Amino acid sequence: MLINLFSRAVLMSTPLLLGSLSEVFSERTGVMVTAIEGIFLMGAWAGFTAAYITGSLAMGLLYAALSGLLVAMLYAYIVVTLKQHQIVTGTAINILILGLCSFLQRVVFGVPLSPLTVEPLQKIAIPLLSKIPFIGPIFFQQNILTYSIYVLVPLGYFILYKTSLGLVIRSTGENPEAVDVSGISVSRVRFVTVSISGIICGIAGAFYSIGYLGKFTTNMIGGRGWIAFAICFLGNWNPIGAFVGTLIFGLAEAFAILMQANASTILPNELFISLPYILTIVLTISRKSFNVPSKLGVAYYEEH
Amino acid sequence: MMDKKTRDILITNFFAVVLGLILSGIMILFLKKNPFSVFGILFSSMFRDGYTIGEIFVKATPLIFTALAFAFTFKANLFNIGAQGQFYIGSITAVSVSLLIPSALAIPVAIVLSFLAGGLWGGFMGVSKAKFKANEFLISMMSTYVALNLMNYLLRTILMESKGEYPQTESLAKSTWLFKIVPHTRLHFGFILAILAAVTVWLILYRTTFGFRIRAVGQNQEAARMSGVNPEIIYIISFIISGGLAGLAGVTEVNGVQHMLLQGFNPSIGALGIGIAILANGNPIGIIFASILFGALHVGGTIMGQLSGVPSSIINLMEGFVMVFVIISYFVRRKWEMNRDKKLLMEGNV
Repeated sequence: MLINLFSRAVLMSTPLLLGSLSEVFSERTGVMVTAIEGIFLMGAWAGFTAAYITGSLAMGLLYAALSGLLVAMLYAYIVVTLKQHQIVTGTAINILILGLCSFLQRVVFGVPLSPLTVEPLQKIAIPLLSKIPFIGPIFFQQNILTYSIYVLVPLGYFILYKTSLGLVIRSTGENPEAVDVSGISVSRVRFVTVSISGIICGIAGAFYSIGYLGKFTTNMIGGRGWIAFAICFLGNWNPIGAFVGTLIFGLAEAFAILMQANASTILPNELFISLPYILTIVLTISRKSFNVPSKLGVAYYEEH
Repeated sequence: MMDKKTRDILITNFFAVVLGLILSGIMILFLKKNPFSVFGILFSSMFRDGYTIGEIFVKATPLIFTALAFAFTFKANLFNIGAQGQFYIGSITAVSVSLLIPSALAIPVAIVLSFLAGGLWGGFMGVSKAKFKANEFLISMMSTYVALNLMNYLLRTILMESKGEYPQTESLAKSTWLFKIVPHTRLHFGFILAILAAVTVWLILYRTTFGFRIRAVGQNQEAARMSGVNPEIIYIISFIISGGLAGLAGVTEVNGVQHMLLQGFNPSIGALGIGIAILANGNPIGIIFASILFGALHVGGTIMGQLSGVPSSIINLMEGFVMVFVIISYFVRRKWEMNRDKKLLMEGNV
């Protein structure tokens, strides 16, 4: 039972971590990806549709990544190139994508008589490691996307703090003038970082459709993009912080699912569904020290 | 003669709407339908009879409130993107009041209490921003999901109909309904309330010292503080008023349209309100017209869906496109303005 709970927590953490990790990188350059909810949804739709039509989950992931890239590039074009307001733009794009996905769903599938499903990603047990008692079944009997985060977190940390690329990324959010003076285009750094975030967030979105449910509905993301966004804040714009934050949220979500399945009568289901959202509110209020990138959300006008 | 800025806004927004329509037309081609005939149906069905024209204003009513809610905090450079949740809280309050007092007295009580309930829910965000420097954008977003779950819980427990079949309340007594202002339509008093709210918000923002302080905090928080304005108080009061406005949408929808509360109630008016506020450049009077435009698209789109087989989700898509183009037009206007200034400088007229 406990193993089941933790193993599910790791599973549910996966897309949140992919999302918050990309958010950490983008926000370090000064750009909040407020379109993240829309990118998640687009990835979920494109991933499901491609997987359903081609019968291949790999194609699903590929199209999810591509669609995430396109949405992120539209967002980056408006906020980085045209320098428009990030929160406002993200809200508009989220509405656009919600309309787009419900429309395209209808265009491609019409009104289906039975629910459309695909076989979700298989769990792969890693030889030897999965045999370790307790830890094995929790961490090493997962699907391939979950394994990818074991690599991405240390890699993200390494890139951000130990490479010159990471220095450029961090400086772009802290002191864009210095980056500009050293001959690097601030806009290009921001545009590329947001685009790559889009690829990863698209895949994260596909996790919800083809990662474990094997179906698509337009309300399936239900604020998970925003939670990934919140985790980036709560994790202090640090990959390790994001990792810890995500595990807590994954646990909250797994706990909610467990409680709903066991239909406890003392406390209402709705309370458990609200748990991740309430947790975000409480943590946002109670956190004292934030290392906000100083130019977060501020457009940069290059000197010409 | 209209000033140049207003003219620019009208021109660019007109093109934003047209471009949105063109892109949605291209999407309609994917369904192998002729976009011209589909749009023909869309526009002719909006005005096909008095009842339908009334529906446009019925649909615009809650949008005016949620757009005002966003615009009000936006003037103080705050982001209340949780109008949806404040609307749910207002709806819960309105339906509870109307079930408890099944007489005409329920209407004024519901209006006052829904405003207060939405205001308290919003005020909580203002307090977290003012006292704990919490990110109001995140908190308002997350609180929407909490409000939704609270509503769902109440709908299947204490507020549930006595038949116990569906997650919805009993129908409200007729005496608690908002009265109709045009016969043979569903257009109700709520629309007048919305217009009054928009005018009041305009007066507060542009004709009172308090409104001046709000805008001062929005323009430059530190400068406002230096000149003796307390930004923390402004945060709290702005959020209370903003939440209250969104809460009022609950009264107009519960007492004016549905006459009950049910699950999955108007799920997107919060987000659309943000779009409308952007389209209207945050101007309360502009919000009235932008809301009517969105209302018309919804009414036309629903009928179009029934008549032409194009799913009504095309309307959300169209609104999304329009909003994106409206944001891009902010860039275009800035460019125009800079060119004008440049020209003035060259002519030496400054």
